[in-house]
Order: sequence, then C-alpha cells, then structure tokens
Amino acid sequence: MSAPLYSLRNITAEYEGQPVLDLPKLDIARGEIVGLAGHNGSGKSTLLKLLGFLLSPKAGGIVFDGETVDHAALRAGHLLRRKAVLLGQDTCLLKRSVAANVAYGLKLRGLPAERERIAWALGLVGLGYAEYAGRPWRRLSGGEARRVALAARLVLSPLALLLDEPTTGLDRASTGHVKRAILSAREAHGATLVIVSHDMGWLSSCADRVLTMEEGRLMG
Amino acid sequence: MDYFSEGLTRAVELLLSLDPETFSAVWATAVVTVLALAASLAIGLPLGFALGHFRFPGRRAARLFTDWMLSLPTVVIGLIVYAFFSARGPLGEWGLLFTVSGMAVGLTVLGLPIIISMTATAVESTDVRLTQTVLSLGADRLQLLFATLCEARFAMALAAASAFGRIVSEVGIAMMVGGNIKWHTRTITTAIALETGKGEFATGIALGIVLMLVALVVNLLVALLRRRAGA
Repeated sequence: MSAPLYSLRNITAEYEGQPVLDLPKLDIARGEIVGLAGHNGSGKSTLLKLLGFLLSPKAGGIVFDGETVDHAALRAGHLLRRKAVLLGQDTCLLKRSVAANVAYGLKLRGLPAERERIAWALGLVGLGYAEYAGRPWRRLSGGEARRVALAARLVLSPLALLLDEPTTGLDRASTGHVKRAILSAREAHGATLVIVSHDMGWLSSCADRVLTMEEGRLMG
Repeated sequence: MDYFSEGLTRAVELLLSLDPETFSAVWATAVVTVLALAASLAIGLPLGFALGHFRFPGRRAARLFTDWMLSLPTVVIGLIVYAFFSARGPLGEWGLLFTVSGMAVGLTVLGLPIIISMTATAVESTDVRLTQTVLSLGADRLQLLFATLCEARFAMALAAASAFGRIVSEVGIAMMVGGNIKWHTRTITTAIALETGKGEFATGIALGIVLMLVALVVNLLVALLRRRAGA
C-alpha cells in the first residue's frame, strides 16, 4: 500500500488568537475522495486552507507527497500550491475571457495553454468551448462562473483538488456536471479530492468517506 | 449675439488656417501635459500600488495626505512651486521658473495625487478575493503583484484619463509658474484668459474649441474604460 498523499499529526491552528483546529491524526490516501461535513464555523474551510497551504499550522507536522512540510517548504508555498489546488468559497474570476481564466494557472506554471486542454476542462464542467471560450467574465451567471473556476483547477491536473462548497448556487444539472467532473479528475490522473459541502446527499454520492467536523475537531 | 457668432466664425478661420500663435499655445499645452502625465504615472503608479497593497505603519496618514493633496487649490500649488523655483527659492538655481519644464513639474504635483489615490483604491478593491484566488492557482509573490496590477488595469487607465483632464485644463499653475510667455509657455488655458481680457474673443473661442474637443475625447475614453471595467 502506497504512502498517503497527506499525513497530518497533532495539528493545531489559530485565528486571531482563538484555536480553530485540533487534529491529532489525519491521513488522506492518493486518489481518495474525502467529504467534509459539519456546521458553519466547525473548521472545515480552515482545514481546507491548511491542506491547500494557504494557512500554516500553529503546531504539528504535515507530510505531503512524501515530503515533510517545514518552514522552508512553506516559504516557497507556491510550489506546494501547484500540487494542491484550492477552489475556495470566495474564489473569483479574473477580468478576462473564460478561456483566459482557464489558461491562467497553466501560464503561471509555464505550461502551454493548448486549445484542446482548455476545451477538455470546460467540457468536464458541462460548458462548450465554442460557446464559452471567448465570453468575458462579466457575462457569466453565478453558476457558470463557479463552473469556470472549477475548470480552471481541473485543467491543472493537480495531485490534490480541494473544493469548498463547489455546488453552492448551482442547479441540479450543474451539480451533476460537477460530480462527473470530480470523478473524471480522479479517473484521468488519480487526483485526490477533499470536498466541503452542506449537501450531505450529494457529498455521500461523491466521496469514498465523509468526515464530520465539530469545533475544529474530526468526529469520525 | 453677432459678437458671439463673429467670434465663432473667426475662430474657425484661425483653426483652419493653422494660425501660428494659436497652434503655439496648442503645442505648449500638448508638451507640458505629456511631460506632467508621464511623470505623474511613473511616480504615482508604484506609490499607489504600494499604498493599496501593503499594510505598513503610517499607511492611513499617507492616505489622508494624498486625499488632502487632491483638494488643494491649483493656485496654492502654483504659489508653492513658484516659491521653490523663484530666484530666492531653494531650487532657484535650477532655472525652472517660466519654463515648460517648470510648468510640467507644477502640473505633476497636480496630477500625482490623482494617480496615487485612484491606483490605491483600485488595488484595494481588487485585493480582497483576488489574492487568495491567484495564490491558490500557484502564483508566487511576483506573479501575484503582476496579477493585481493587471486586474486593476482599467481603473488605472481611468486614473490616467482623470489626471490628464485635470492637467490639460489647469490655468493657475500654468500662469504662475509658466508666466504666460508668448511662443514659449503660453498654453491654451492661459491664452484664453489673456486673449479674452484683451477683447480678442475669436482667439479665445478657437482655443476653447480645441480644449472642448480634447475634453470630449477624454470623456469618451473614460466612458469606454468604465464600460470595459464593468463599473
């Protein structure tokens, strides 16, 4: 059995001096889809930011992709964030076309933004390239913008994809597209996914296991 | 009414015949405006970015100072710059008084707070969600700075257009620091003030038409930028 992608031990995190996370142990296997459920303020989004290396723990150790994440690694955090990509609740689109938004992460990595790759990612979230590629960001509905933001992460084929409420504001058909996109990401390149959602039915249908959080702790 | 229509007819004649005195003022205006705007952008864009992006001690005071500079009357700016450049002033030996370069410095003082303040506001308003979005996609610090500047590009162009409008239509600084010297530092606005005072209504109208056309172009540009920025 291969080593887990994430291995967290005795992690604590604080926000403005208040403890917000207390995790004695959490392992996430490669290619696993983990659901995170819990009430508002239970620490789900904080854990996702920690897994996405946008937040440093106050104490504890993280091993990611076989490497210990120490202070030196966190200082060059963009190298970690290129492997573990987060789609946050408050993610926005850049003031560019849909295709330019999807291509942006590839350009940050110095990778070619080929038309076929952009079309593939847009197709995963149910948006046709011909119809949407040239459309400016301001001419998208909230649901379409959310799906474009997801496509901009899927196109990167990251080791880990961290999704915070990916179906908020989406209709039933779009929610189905997101689920298919998530499963395709795992099938296509073995991505590990951690998904936060309040929609327990949808989350259970996507995830291999669902963890519940309460007051910064994992309950099971 | 005849007085007005005769003035208008004569003004069109002056413009169509490319009257040297009229176009000397237009040329002087173009030169000082381009110089002052270029200096305002070169100094103001990085300062505005720093003010909007970074959190440092004294930031609020710096912001307050910039906003205060926005409301300074142009004659006061002219007076201060005049005092610095006059023979007995601290920069008197530079010989900038009554020169195009001196006027450009005075008009830079006018345009600079507009660029700094509007750039800072543009960067502040894009920072909230953009930073996390760009970082989460794998950007390093330098790429984050470029992304922020790029996202604020329409607002910064709007700041440049606003500063241009203010600089090109200014009269107090141009009069005091430039001295309104014919063929040399006489701009459109100072020429209008002088010619109208002398009763040369036609020249005043001709120059006024040029200034109104410039204002129209700037306003159209601003409207276009607002539309593109989705404001």
